[in-house]
Amino acid sequence: MPSWALIIADRVMRQLIRYWRATALIILRLRDKLEPLWRTSFFTSFADEMGKRMSSRAFIIAGRVMRQLIRDRRTMALIILVPLVIASIVGVSVPDKSILDYIAPAVLALLILFFSFLLTGISVLRERTQGTMERLMASPVSRLDVVGGYLLGFLPFALLQTLIIFFYMVYVLNVNYYGELWQILVFQVIIGIGAVCLGIFCSIFARNEFQMVQFIPLIILPQVFLCGLLWSVSQMPDYLQWVAKFLPLTYGVDGVRALMLQGQALLDIGKEVSVLLAFAVGFLVLAAVTLRRGNST
Amino acid sequence: MPEKRFSGLAVEAYGVSFNYGRQEVLDELLLGVPRGISFGLLGPNGAGKTTLIRLLVGLLRPKSGTIRILGQSPSPKISHLIGYMPQLHSLYAELSVIQNVEFFARIYHLADRFERDRRVEAVIKLVDMWEHRHKNIMSLSGGMKQRVSLACALVHNPPLLFLDEPTVGLDPELRVTFWDYFSTLTRQGITLIISSHTMDDAAHCDRLAFMRDGKLVAQGTPAELRQATGQPGATLEDAFLYFVRRGREKRDA
Repeated sequence: MPSWALIIADRVMRQLIRYWRATALIILRLRDKLEPLWRTSFFTSFADEMGKRMSSRAFIIAGRVMRQLIRDRRTMALIILVPLVIASIVGVSVPDKSILDYIAPAVLALLILFFSFLLTGISVLRERTQGTMERLMASPVSRLDVVGGYLLGFLPFALLQTLIIFFYMVYVLNVNYYGELWQILVFQVIIGIGAVCLGIFCSIFARNEFQMVQFIPLIILPQVFLCGLLWSVSQMPDYLQWVAKFLPLTYGVDGVRALMLQGQALLDIGKEVSVLLAFAVGFLVLAAVTLRRGNST
Repeated sequence: MPEKRFSGLAVEAYGVSFNYGRQEVLDELLLGVPRGISFGLLGPNGAGKTTLIRLLVGLLRPKSGTIRILGQSPSPKISHLIGYMPQLHSLYAELSVIQNVEFFARIYHLADRFERDRRVEAVIKLVDMWEHRHKNIMSLSGGMKQRVSLACALVHNPPLLFLDEPTVGLDPELRVTFWDYFSTLTRQGITLIISSHTMDDAAHCDRLAFMRDGKLVAQGTPAELRQATGQPGATLEDAFLYFVRRGREKRDA
């Protein structure tokens, strides 16, 4: 092994250990305080309150989706830890600070797309395989209630992830940012709406979890490579640039970069916002169509 | 009460046919279910019982024929009058018993908190799960899940209840308990449509329909069906075989 490789490997390892020691310390310190909170008061009563106050059926379904996630403690832990792991890997593996500044916003967009798509897809699929979808469809619930319920239920968790990764990148990895946080969050919600609807739509084509997971390489990976996360879209061959125009993540990455790096406002990136909204509406219609009454199994 | 408005039959089906692609599942079905009784749909696996129930609940549309549920055609508008217990347990595994029942209570818009809590408590107590109400569905046995599933179908107090193989996989003791629940319900004036493939269940029903290969081969009370065989000591099993044989002879002739 050449000596420079050893040096890099050593540096990477040391950085990793440093980040993880810091993270582990924070988690250890917080764990005792979080444990009772976790189990009883805040989280469950928050979900309960939400559920009790909601009258419309979409809100009822959202309350249930959230409660399902919150009661599954391992899933909740993963929701919080996974963004930290990804952010750490990105932060450590990228050699140059300026490249990190370039990639970090794209990771935000990618993560919300990925997380919302996959969790929604699996949840709706499970709803179908365990037969609860059949029960819902025989009840007065409308298809938009179901889609709306999943949107309202998953987006808070997706936003929580966005916040975690954002603060970790800005304060731990020292990524530069000039925009405003609330505008980034609003933009992330727009990406998330499309992703949740896409997840519902794709889940109709999957009969089991194995098949659903296959949609990741099919739907997510091409977007990762073509959206401009790793290299700029304009450097790609013409036909791939053309393909990139039809991928939501291309606009998501451009948008978050403009917000974070160039300090632009939501109004300045009207094109990205409107294209993503169009994707969201399109996927919403597709999702509602797939949830026909006869389609429940 | 909404059920007071309907007179006559709870469920009517006239010449109902259904097919999945080329495979014919139901063929020209004629069915009438009076109100306030337990009505058994009896037949072997693959006879079309589940498809018939899914048609009646409104999850599927018939290819031809008409269906009337409490005098109206099946649509989301009347779904609050129908309770449906699917064949699977159909519960949210991560949630507790009471959270599952409460969720379906909310879905059916039992908006008043006091009324809703009262109903939720009543149905969970009806199926004897009150002491287990905070347990996760995941940790329950098959029979317990079945009971919670029944409670979820009952929580909005529907006048008409469809139960798809509710007693399948239950031990004999629990099966008897289930029939106790069912007779409690019919005493309250609720109409039950119960599918099953065991003649054990058939004996408990007020009226029966025998199904075979997508056709109704006979309808009547258990006593009527037994008598029709012409043998004094005939069981329901004998009656079922008798009607299946007769149907085959009719077709061949």
